[in-house]
Amino acid sequence: MSIHIPILIIISPLLAAFLVLLSRKYKIILATASIITSIVFTLTLSSRVLSGDKVTYHLGGWRGPLGISLVVDELSLFFSLIVLGLGLLVIVYSMPERNYGRTYYFLLLISLSSMIGVIYTADIFNMYVFYELLSLAVYLLIAYPKTGVTLRASFNYLIMGGVGLSFFLLGVGFLYAMTGTLDMFHIAERLPAAFNSSMQMVIMSFVLIATGMGIKIAVFPLHGWLPDAHSMAPSPVSALLSGVTVKIGIYCLIRVVYTVFSTEMFLLISSHNILIVLGVVSLLFGASMALAQKDLKRLLAYSTINQLGIVFIGLGIGTELGLTGALFHVLNHAIMKSTLFFCAGIMIAETGTREVKGLSGFGRQQPAIAFSFVIASLGMIGIPPINGFASKWLICLAAVEAGYTFPVVIILIASTIAAAYYFRVIQVLFGGSLKQGAMPAHEREQVIHRGNLFRSWPIYILAAGCLLLGLLPALGISLVKPAVSLLLFHVVP
Amino acid sequence: MNPVNISLLVCMIGLYGVMSKNNLIKKIMGLTIMNGSIVLFFISIGYRKGGLAPILEKGTTGGIPTIIVVDPLPQALMLTAIVIGISVTALALALIVKIYSKYKTLDIQQLSKER
Amino acid sequence: MRSSKIIKTIAQKLFPFIVLFGFYLISHGHLSPGGGFQGGVVLGTAIILLALSHSIEQTEKKFKSRWLNMLEKLGILTLIFLGFLGIFLGYSFLGNFLPLGKPGQIASGGLMLPFNIAIGIKVAAGISAIFYALIKYRGEI
Repeated sequence: MSIHIPILIIISPLLAAFLVLLSRKYKIILATASIITSIVFTLTLSSRVLSGDKVTYHLGGWRGPLGISLVVDELSLFFSLIVLGLGLLVIVYSMPERNYGRTYYFLLLISLSSMIGVIYTADIFNMYVFYELLSLAVYLLIAYPKTGVTLRASFNYLIMGGVGLSFFLLGVGFLYAMTGTLDMFHIAERLPAAFNSSMQMVIMSFVLIATGMGIKIAVFPLHGWLPDAHSMAPSPVSALLSGVTVKIGIYCLIRVVYTVFSTEMFLLISSHNILIVLGVVSLLFGASMALAQKDLKRLLAYSTINQLGIVFIGLGIGTELGLTGALFHVLNHAIMKSTLFFCAGIMIAETGTREVKGLSGFGRQQPAIAFSFVIASLGMIGIPPINGFASKWLICLAAVEAGYTFPVVIILIASTIAAAYYFRVIQVLFGGSLKQGAMPAHEREQVIHRGNLFRSWPIYILAAGCLLLGLLPALGISLVKPAVSLLLFHVVP
Repeated sequence: MNPVNISLLVCMIGLYGVMSKNNLIKKIMGLTIMNGSIVLFFISIGYRKGGLAPILEKGTTGGIPTIIVVDPLPQALMLTAIVIGISVTALALALIVKIYSKYKTLDIQQLSKER
Repeated sequence: MRSSKIIKTIAQKLFPFIVLFGFYLISHGHLSPGGGFQGGVVLGTAIILLALSHSIEQTEKKFKSRWLNMLEKLGILTLIFLGFLGIFLGYSFLGNFLPLGKPGQIASGGLMLPFNIAIGIKVAAGISAIFYALIKYRGEI
C-alpha cells in the first residue's frame, strides 16, 4: 500500500469533497480528517524524498513518455507542505461560521486537492487540467456570498484567468509539436535537439507559458484582477488565495523554467533582466497603491503584489543565494499574509467596518489578536526578529553579490513605504476608543460570530510560526536548501 | 497560410473580443473563440500527410495498422480541453445571470461605476 | 413558453431515438469516435429538448432534479471506486484489471467501458442540472 501514497494524497480530499455533498452533519469532520490524512502521508514521504530519491508513481501502469506520472521531489514536497498546512488552518478558521454550508467545504476541498495535483504531476497537460479545476473552484469561492461586489470581482478574475490559461495551453501545444511527448522530464531530454533546429518556436512557447503564468501570479502589467478578488472574498478564502493560490503560479513557473527548459537555454533567452525589471516595477507599484488605500483588505491585497515582486527579483537573480531567498520568502509570505487576513477577518466582524479608521481601539479590547497583527506586519516590513527580515536580507545579499545594486535600493525604499502603511494601521488599532458601527451591506453574510475564541487559534499558531522562523532562520533554510540544490545542480548533498 | 498562423489569428480575434467589447456576454464569446482556436491548433499539429482517421477497421487483426493514421493524442487532449471550456462558460453564464438580476445592466462600463 | 402542437409531437417522438444514439456513443467509445463525454452530452440534450418544447414544470415532473443531483454524485463516486479497485487488486490507481477481449467487440478494452458509462451518466445529469438551474431563473428577473 505504501507505493500508492502519492495518488492517495490527491484523492483523499477529492473523495471527501464529494462525500461532504451527501451529508450535512459530518462535513467538518470529513474535511479535517481528509486533510490530516494527506498531511500524514506527505510526512511519511518526506524522509525518502529528502534523502535524494524522488518518488515516482505511474497512473494506470503506463510508463515512459506515454503515461501520466506523479513525481514527488524536493521542490514539490516543499510546496505541498505549505499548501496542506495552510489548508488545514483555513478549515479550522472557518469552522465556527454557521453560514458556510456544504458547498463551501466542497469547493475548499476541491481547490486543495487540485493544488496538490498541480504540484505533484509530471505531465504538462495534466498540470493545465488541474490548474483549470483549481481556478473554477476559486471563482466559485470568491462569489460564495452572492453579493454584487463579489460577483463582479469573480467575473473579472474569470475572464483574466481564462485568457491566461489559454495562453498556457497554446505554449504547451508548441512544446508538443516540437518534441512529441508531454512528460516534463522527457521534454527536457528532447528539447535541445529541437532548439538547434527551430529556435523561434522554443522562444515562442516559453513566452506564451510565461505570460499565462504571469497573469495568474499578478505581476505588474497583468495584476488587474487581484485587488478586487482578494479583498472582496470572505476572509478565510482571502487567506487561502493570497497565501497559497498565487504560489502555485510561482511553482509552475519555476518547474517549467528549471525542469523543462534547462538553465542553459534560459540564459540564452536572457530573461533574467526581464524578471528583475518586472519584480522592481511590481514592488514599487504595490507599495505605492497600498499607501493610498482606505480599505483594510485592499491594502493587504496590494501588499501581496509588493511581496511577490521581491520573489521575482530573487528568481531573476538566479544564483543559489537568490533562489534560496526567493523560496524562503514564499514560505514566509504565506505564513505572514494568512495571519494578516485572519486578523482582518476578526477585526472587520467585531467593529463592523472595513475601513482602517474605523478600527480604532480594537487593540485595547482584544490585545492578543492585535499583537499577532503587529508581529506579522513587522515581518512584512522586514524588521529583524521576524522571518520576513531573513528572506529579504538573503535576496539583498544575493543582489549585491551578483552586481545588481539598483534592486537593493528599491527594496529598501519599498520597505520604508510598507512601514508607513502598516504603522498607520497599528497606530489606529491602539489609539482611540472602540466604536461599533452598523455593518455595511456586503459584510452581512460574512459575519463570524462575535466572541468565538475558537477561530483565533490559527492566528496564534501562525504568529508563533513567524517568530520561530525569524529567531531560527536556519530551520526554514534547511527546508529550502534541498529544493534549491535540486534545481540548480541536479544533485542533492 | 499554414494552420498554425490561422489558429494564432483566430486567437487574437478572440482576445480582441475579450478586451474591447463592453457587453459581458460578448466577452464570454471572445473567450469561447479563444478556446476554439486552441482546439484548431492542436488538431492541426497532429496531421500527417496522407493520413486517415485512427480507427481500426473491421477485419484487420488487432495489431499495428499498416496504413498511415493521423496522431490521435491531440484529439484526446482536445476532448478534455473542450470539457473545461464548457465548464468555464457555464460558470460565467451563471455569474452573468446573477449580476443581471442585481444590477439590471450588462454593460461593463456602467458596472465599474457602481459602488 | 408555448410551442405549437407539431413541435411537441415531434419532440416526443424523437426522444427515444436521441437517447438510443446517446447510449450508442457511450458504449462504442473505445471503438469509434465518441466516448463518455460526447454520449453524455447527447443524453443531456434529449432532456433539454423536452424541456424546451414542453414546459419546464412538466419535464421536471418526469426527470426530477433531486434524482439528477443524486446521479451526478453517484457517477463520480463510481469513478473513484473503480480507481480504488485497481489499487486493491494489485495494479496502480486506475490500472486495468478486466480482461482485454478481442479488439473490435464492445466487451474489450478492459476498464474503458465501465468508465465511459460512469462518465456518460454523470455528464448527462450534470448538463441537465445546469440547464434546469439556468432556466428556472427566468421568472425572477
